[in-house]
Amino acid sequence: MRWRCAAVMLVAVLALALVGPVRAQGPVKITLWHAMGGARYEAITKGIAEGFNRAYPNYTLEPLFTGSYAETLTKGIAAIRAGNPPHIVQVYEVGTQTMIDSGAIIPVTDMVKPGEINFAEYIDPILKYYTVRGKLYSMPFNSSTAILYYNKDVFRRAGLDPERPPQTFDELEQMGRQIIRSGAARGAVTFGWPAWIFEQMFAYHNKAYANNENGRAGRATKVLFDQPFGVYLASRWAAWAKEGLLIYGGREYAPNRAFLAGEVAMLMQSTSQVSTIQQGAKFAVGTAFLPRIPGQPRGKSVIGGASLWVLKGRGRSQAELDAIVAFFKYLNQAAQTAQWHKDTGYFPATQSAVKLLEAEGWFTKNPNFLTAFRQIQVGPDTGATRGVLLGNFVQIRDITDTMLERIFSGRMTPAEAVRVSAEEANKVLEEYNQTYK
Amino acid sequence: MEGRYPDRVLPYVLVAPSVIIVLLFLLIPSGEALWQSLSRINPFSGQATFLGIRNFVVLLASEEYRHSAGVSVVFTAATVVLSLSTALAMALLANQRLHGIGIYRVALIWPYALSPAVAGTIWALLFEPSTGVVTYLLRETVGVAPNWMMSGRLALLVVVVAAAWKLLGYNVVFFLAGLQAVPEELTEAAAVDGAPPWRRFWAVTFPLLSPVTFFLLITNSLYAFFEVFGLIDVLTQGGPARATDVLVYKLYRDGFVSINWGLASAQSVLLFVLVAALTIFQFRYAGRRVFYS
Repeated sequence: MRWRCAAVMLVAVLALALVGPVRAQGPVKITLWHAMGGARYEAITKGIAEGFNRAYPNYTLEPLFTGSYAETLTKGIAAIRAGNPPHIVQVYEVGTQTMIDSGAIIPVTDMVKPGEINFAEYIDPILKYYTVRGKLYSMPFNSSTAILYYNKDVFRRAGLDPERPPQTFDELEQMGRQIIRSGAARGAVTFGWPAWIFEQMFAYHNKAYANNENGRAGRATKVLFDQPFGVYLASRWAAWAKEGLLIYGGREYAPNRAFLAGEVAMLMQSTSQVSTIQQGAKFAVGTAFLPRIPGQPRGKSVIGGASLWVLKGRGRSQAELDAIVAFFKYLNQAAQTAQWHKDTGYFPATQSAVKLLEAEGWFTKNPNFLTAFRQIQVGPDTGATRGVLLGNFVQIRDITDTMLERIFSGRMTPAEAVRVSAEEANKVLEEYNQTYK
Repeated sequence: MEGRYPDRVLPYVLVAPSVIIVLLFLLIPSGEALWQSLSRINPFSGQATFLGIRNFVVLLASEEYRHSAGVSVVFTAATVVLSLSTALAMALLANQRLHGIGIYRVALIWPYALSPAVAGTIWALLFEPSTGVVTYLLRETVGVAPNWMMSGRLALLVVVVAAAWKLLGYNVVFFLAGLQAVPEELTEAAAVDGAPPWRRFWAVTFPLLSPVTFFLLITNSLYAFFEVFGLIDVLTQGGPARATDVLVYKLYRDGFVSINWGLASAQSVLLFVLVAALTIFQFRYAGRRVFYS
């Protein structure tokens, strides 16, 4: 009996082994590693991947959630080393320089034949962010910027006009004081991704963050946030923290909690959170441009979020490359770009998607989705507003986050913290430029 | 021993699995770490530039690393003292004959069964600066609600309490077992001699517990020094302003966030030396005072 059983199993195994290669003749499989958690997870797996697989039966896109942005980048690098990376990996904007220098990628311009995708149709600041020295390296996907979210109910309770959010730092301070005095909220403002908000303020006031034109004319060798503007900005924020206007709520998305709980009246956070915040808030949410520092030159808020990078691996077949291009074309369709925007709050990255949304009356019904879009379109296009590129930016962002924590917790004066952190960051750049010659 | 195995090959075959596992998962990676600690490595190509001891020099000269070492020492000492003393007190209570003692014992041991991520999340939610239960209670009763995300000392305290709590169950189990092995005749004899409960504990029970205490001291120190990554990552990510940046967390940041493998490997080599030194020191000196009955 046992032998017969074993024989049957053996035959089954052999049969499977024979069938295996036949099955591989099916759709061409490409993998995508991404970091889209929360509401964005559904949007990428259900919306984008399933839609693509239906539209292109010859191809199969397999999305895989690989943790936070930092974790996804680390896993991607490990997979590159192991020789078996995914076809596409989503890397946040701070990984841009590292990916360019990695030697492990295929630039998008080298893959897509002229005329296949009309890149000129992309919103200018997004395209410019990922174009380095004339080459578009990665496929724009989820682009965001920072805006000001505010709690209209708190504004009303504090006796402020809920339709008139602060436009400058000075107004934010005055309104914040009134909010706290009236007891409408415990704190005035908090930041999501604090180091990124710090970077935003440089571009927003047309100040370079690093040398060599923000690292775009050549590799950056020095950060510039220890210049007077950086010290000034840090001092203003330090004063907010000391006065109790600013309540520090941690890094990335953690500060959303204080805002959603009505503890803090205003939140500077990525536009990618518009959907999440509107769904989570039990109050009327308003959005506005980031407040400006009076007397400083006008710049533009800068692009954040992530883009899609094609990895070489040990060589890709033509069929796989075709599948990747087909996927990019699919993403580029107005309907897909518009849907991704609606699901998440990330920018509708192309003109045709914007037109589609306007025709549907989407922005009239959802004004909070328009704020960021308008914000990145006003202001000059200069080296300082195109977004900084830094080697090992991941570590430098950790350094500036730490710098802000040193300031907010009162462990260092703003001037001291800025100086120490700039030194640390410059060391990282030096180390990086030696590693990637 | 001679002649127990009929042939010479069998013994080698039998130990082979352990040898292979040690080789594959311990010796080879350790050797690689040692080699990497002397190099600068391009993470994508794997291309290494030999630097000699430069990574070690950079580390030991960096204020950040020394700060991290300091945080580790303070964290470990505080966690171990807090956890051992609380666990001993609770074990003493749980060693009494009470109604429903089984329920108490299970409740005490519980935290040990939680994964670091779960434990970290629980404490993070409790102390959340705006919506946490502890924050709320403090604000309602005392009128102040400190924000541990803005205070390094407070953050360290929260992490210490969380780590001590996480260790509690483990320690209680061992102390309880130790207490139950203390012969009742001895404590009874001491009671007959008129020793008050406190005296009975210090003069009789505690010395008999010393092997257990010593064992726990070592395992707890090792835990607090090397295995708190999960807890720290969920709770503070080493912040605010590096106030909870213990050595293992710094290693993670350098190796897996900044992808500086040379520097991270150098740290792991230093940690290896440190754990060896710590263990030898404890067995040499603290071990002498242990009273094995």
